[in-house]
Amino acid sequence: MLAIQTIADGLVLGGLYALSAVGFSLIFGVMGVVNLSHGALVMIGAYLAWFVWHSLGVDPLLAIPVVMGVLAVFGYVYQRVLIQLAVDRSSHVASMLVTFGVALMLRNTLVLVFSPDLRSITPSYSGHPLVLGSIVLDPVRLAALAASLVLLGALAMILQRSKMGRVIRATAQQELAARLCGVNAHHIYGLTFAVSAAFAGAAGAILGIVLPFSPPDEGLWTLNAFVVVVLGGVGSPAGALVGGLVLGVMSTGTSQLIGAAFPNAMMFAVLVLMLLVRPSGLLGNAFAGSR
Amino acid sequence: MTISRRTMVKMAGGVALAAPAIRGASAQATKTITFGGSVPLSGGGAETGLNVNNGYATAVKFINEMGGVEIAGTKYKLELKLFDDASDPSRAVTLIQRQIDDGVDFYLGSFGSNIVLPTAAITERAEKPMVQAGGGSDQIFVQGYKYMFGFFPRATRQFLSTAAFIKTLAPPVQNYSVIYTNDAFSKTAATGVMNAMKAQGIPMLDSYAFPETITDASSVLAAIRAKTPEALICMTHDQDNLLLAKQMIATGTNVNLLFQGLGPQLGSFRDTLGKAANGIYFQTYWDERAPLKDRFFGTSAAFAAYYKKNYTRPLAYHVSAGAACIVTYLEAMMAAKSIDPAKVRDALANIDIETQYSRIKFTEQGDGDPVVMGPWVGQVVGGAPEVVSPANAKTAAYTYPTPPWAQRT
Repeated sequence: MLAIQTIADGLVLGGLYALSAVGFSLIFGVMGVVNLSHGALVMIGAYLAWFVWHSLGVDPLLAIPVVMGVLAVFGYVYQRVLIQLAVDRSSHVASMLVTFGVALMLRNTLVLVFSPDLRSITPSYSGHPLVLGSIVLDPVRLAALAASLVLLGALAMILQRSKMGRVIRATAQQELAARLCGVNAHHIYGLTFAVSAAFAGAAGAILGIVLPFSPPDEGLWTLNAFVVVVLGGVGSPAGALVGGLVLGVMSTGTSQLIGAAFPNAMMFAVLVLMLLVRPSGLLGNAFAGSR
Repeated sequence: MTISRRTMVKMAGGVALAAPAIRGASAQATKTITFGGSVPLSGGGAETGLNVNNGYATAVKFINEMGGVEIAGTKYKLELKLFDDASDPSRAVTLIQRQIDDGVDFYLGSFGSNIVLPTAAITERAEKPMVQAGGGSDQIFVQGYKYMFGFFPRATRQFLSTAAFIKTLAPPVQNYSVIYTNDAFSKTAATGVMNAMKAQGIPMLDSYAFPETITDASSVLAAIRAKTPEALICMTHDQDNLLLAKQMIATGTNVNLLFQGLGPQLGSFRDTLGKAANGIYFQTYWDERAPLKDRFFGTSAAFAAYYKKNYTRPLAYHVSAGAACIVTYLEAMMAAKSIDPAKVRDALANIDIETQYSRIKFTEQGDGDPVVMGPWVGQVVGGAPEVVSPANAKTAAYTYPTPPWAQRT
């Protein structure tokens, strides 16, 4: 029974990892930019959800559309004003340094605005465990998993079925060809960043109800996103989901079978192994085939 | 009268040349004692770091408002030169070395054993005293340092009074499990729990080591539900303890006694858990109702009143401890009748005074005397942190066994 409990806990945790990484994966896949401020965007989402919950009493899951909207606008402006400039004038490495600097600034801005104190969101449905036979599940984490799956599904639909999704994919595959067809690539990159930032914000809102958080946690969520992308593959919600679930089950399994001190060690061991054996991840790069 | 441009330039030059002389005259009139150091105002340790910083600042502000302090017939004002180390040991080391090079003689500690340990090495080499209320790891106190003085007893000695309290509970606690993280403080504190509980004859069921930051405890809690220890001792940090408590509540993981060394003292921690926080045990080193006398502040209550008048941030024991670091320095300087670092160091080594925080007395290795400066046992009662042991500091009666999470009121 402990094994089933461990797998169930791992899947729930994995869903959170997947949602927190999908924005990072999309930017990496479409634009080739390693967004080191991804965790800071996740944290902004968590603080926005906390603010709405704390001041207006609105459930963080209901606040997700607002959080996504704010982060989407921020993401678009951020990409057009800073990142595109760095890429145009220098290189993708420069854009990585820019995102690192922005992460530091965002972290300290959050400290100034919200203080360094721990925050946590406690919705009304927390504290009532869901018991299924001998399996005990946290309703908050289950709600978070369900929200993650819905959002990942929605993103997959947008990328596959909508006009905007097709243009994003086309630009990611062949920027020059997309430009020749009349696509404003800079605008599309801005939109991609907006979508990614919106999903990072949604992940933050969900993580806020699961974990206590403070501004320095941004580094952790950037790192987790990186590992998920290396495991699952770049550029697609499916890759993020597979990477997230594998990481979640691996984390709880290692904790149960080897010891609670070892999930991080296992995570980095698998990261190194994947980079050596299959650097494009389990599902590969969603856009690599056409490049 | 008109002033020509040339006259104007001459006047400005004259003022500029005279300024240092004016400042010099002013400096001669009021001597200053400067306390250097770093504190984490951002990064992982910032929440408590801010409390320590506020303690230092409160004492300096209060004493300067009193007109300063007189040492061997000379009046001194106090000055703080504290910098944000961002909870980063390497950054703290750079900041402290720079201050040593600038000639600062007296140091206040940062928060976190991982920062206090390397910075104390620098001040020790420079033979400058450091008084700190932020590091309790044994590693700090076994290096043979002569110039470093810590307010907390070393981590392995911090659980002695709590273990003795647990032994007195009825029905008797039959077993316990311990949770800790792999960092300098938590690991040694867990060793202290094991030693203290063994000395009380209470057997351990399991010990669980986590990485330095916990993001998920579901597997460990599943194991705890399967074995159910009577007491669960968490020697982890604030954020980890909040996560553990939230996951315990969410998965209905109940134990008769939950002890969390850090966290329940903070208002944000208790607000997050709401009614469920009631009954959680913790350690505390201070309470504003404690009947303590202080040469500068008068009493613990007077210190608390002054702090609340000047700061909106909730009062915590680290604030009181920070202020007491300054008072301890001044008491040592008055005893030494000097502000020579070596003489102040000798006075600190022999100090035995009472402050609004506690009686202050250090062991030969520089940590707080475990009998005189050891922690009290606290419990959250009615949403507030209360002292439940020892009897002479008690502010509320304890609850044991604590009710299951869902039945807490």
